[in-house]
Amino acid sequence: MYTANIADTVMFRNLGKHPSPHLRSLKRAVKKAGTEVWVPAAVYHELSDTGSANSPTNPYLDRAVEEGWIRVATPLLGDRTEELDRTAGPVEKARIVTDEFLNQQSKYPETNNWTDATLVALAVRLFDTNARIRVITHTADDNLAKACARIPPEFGYYEIKSRYYNPPQTAKHEFPTVDQLTWSG
Amino acid sequence: MSYDTEHVRNAGDTPGVSIGIRTFAELLENPSLAKLYTSMRGSATATGPELVDSIAVSKKTVYDYLHKLEQAGLISKVGDDGGTNVYTAEEFELTVTVRETEVSITPELVEVIAHKNEYPAVERVLEAHGIVTFALVYDLVKAHSEGEVTIRQIASLTHLSPGTTYDLIEALYSILDLGEDESNPTTYTPDDFDEDEANLLEEYAQE
Repeated sequence: MYTANIADTVMFRNLGKHPSPHLRSLKRAVKKAGTEVWVPAAVYHELSDTGSANSPTNPYLDRAVEEGWIRVATPLLGDRTEELDRTAGPVEKARIVTDEFLNQQSKYPETNNWTDATLVALAVRLFDTNARIRVITHTADDNLAKACARIPPEFGYYEIKSRYYNPPQTAKHEFPTVDQLTWSG
Repeated sequence: MSYDTEHVRNAGDTPGVSIGIRTFAELLENPSLAKLYTSMRGSATATGPELVDSIAVSKKTVYDYLHKLEQAGLISKVGDDGGTNVYTAEEFELTVTVRETEVSITPELVEVIAHKNEYPAVERVLEAHGIVTFALVYDLVKAHSEGEVTIRQIASLTHLSPGTTYDLIEALYSILDLGEDESNPTTYTPDDFDEDEANLLEEYAQE
């Protein structure tokens, strides 16, 4: 059974830009745990340095992507302005349901949660395209962490754990460990 | 005598307190002054010599600040300890309303501003976006620590860039010592959610 980890932007903000001792710890833990860390394309974009060059670079992720232990997912389909379409695929539906769920849980129900929702949608996509897979998500937002564990089962996927780091800076030391990256941890 | 006029409300005492607006403004600009006030507020009483030992400014500056804070009504003399004045900090709330936006400046905000030299994100947001945005982020970060909003919702509500929002969140969590003391992280699984809870997919499809 393959375990995939999906990490939110805040995890990498805490680990710091390459070269960083925390990124090195994550690389060691990923190899030891026999896993990979996946990031949604939107998370990759948030962490990119788009300031000077035409081709953006990503000081947090590019080296790890080159080395092959972090994988950037291809962009997810769907448009936030679309309403929930019963004929849409599970990935698209999961993203819309997560956006709605986060607004429902918030005191400010008009915010755009489309990027937050990519974590749940990517989990559903990985389940959808891999038969023997477990997924662990990592974020520092409580409602998003709850959405990660609550929404995939609505599509028939129960092999998911969602780790919530509070305060966010605890991710610096807690995230890059074998325990947090493995199913039994 | 108490007053409840258009501009002055007080409870049971003459409105004798002097309010030095300039010093209130300086509290937001000068982290050393903010630190002195915050330090006094953190203990029941304080004397000049105690504050000289705890604040990284000269003795003369400490006494200048004490005079300034007392003139503004932000601290009061409450006793004498062998010829040394004993002070206590007064609570305050300064409310400003401009173009239908109301912001309350409180000692809790001043406490964060006292750290602006140590956390560049605090200084950056105060200078580039002003006190209203800063106060809004302060409240939203506290809400985030209670699980009520996400980091991206904070960025969206304050119009700050994601990078600045992450930096400020890290600073405020650290200054305010927010977050859980329990072992980290918390792990949620599908079993944590009651089977009786609404099926979100169906609920939204019906809507």
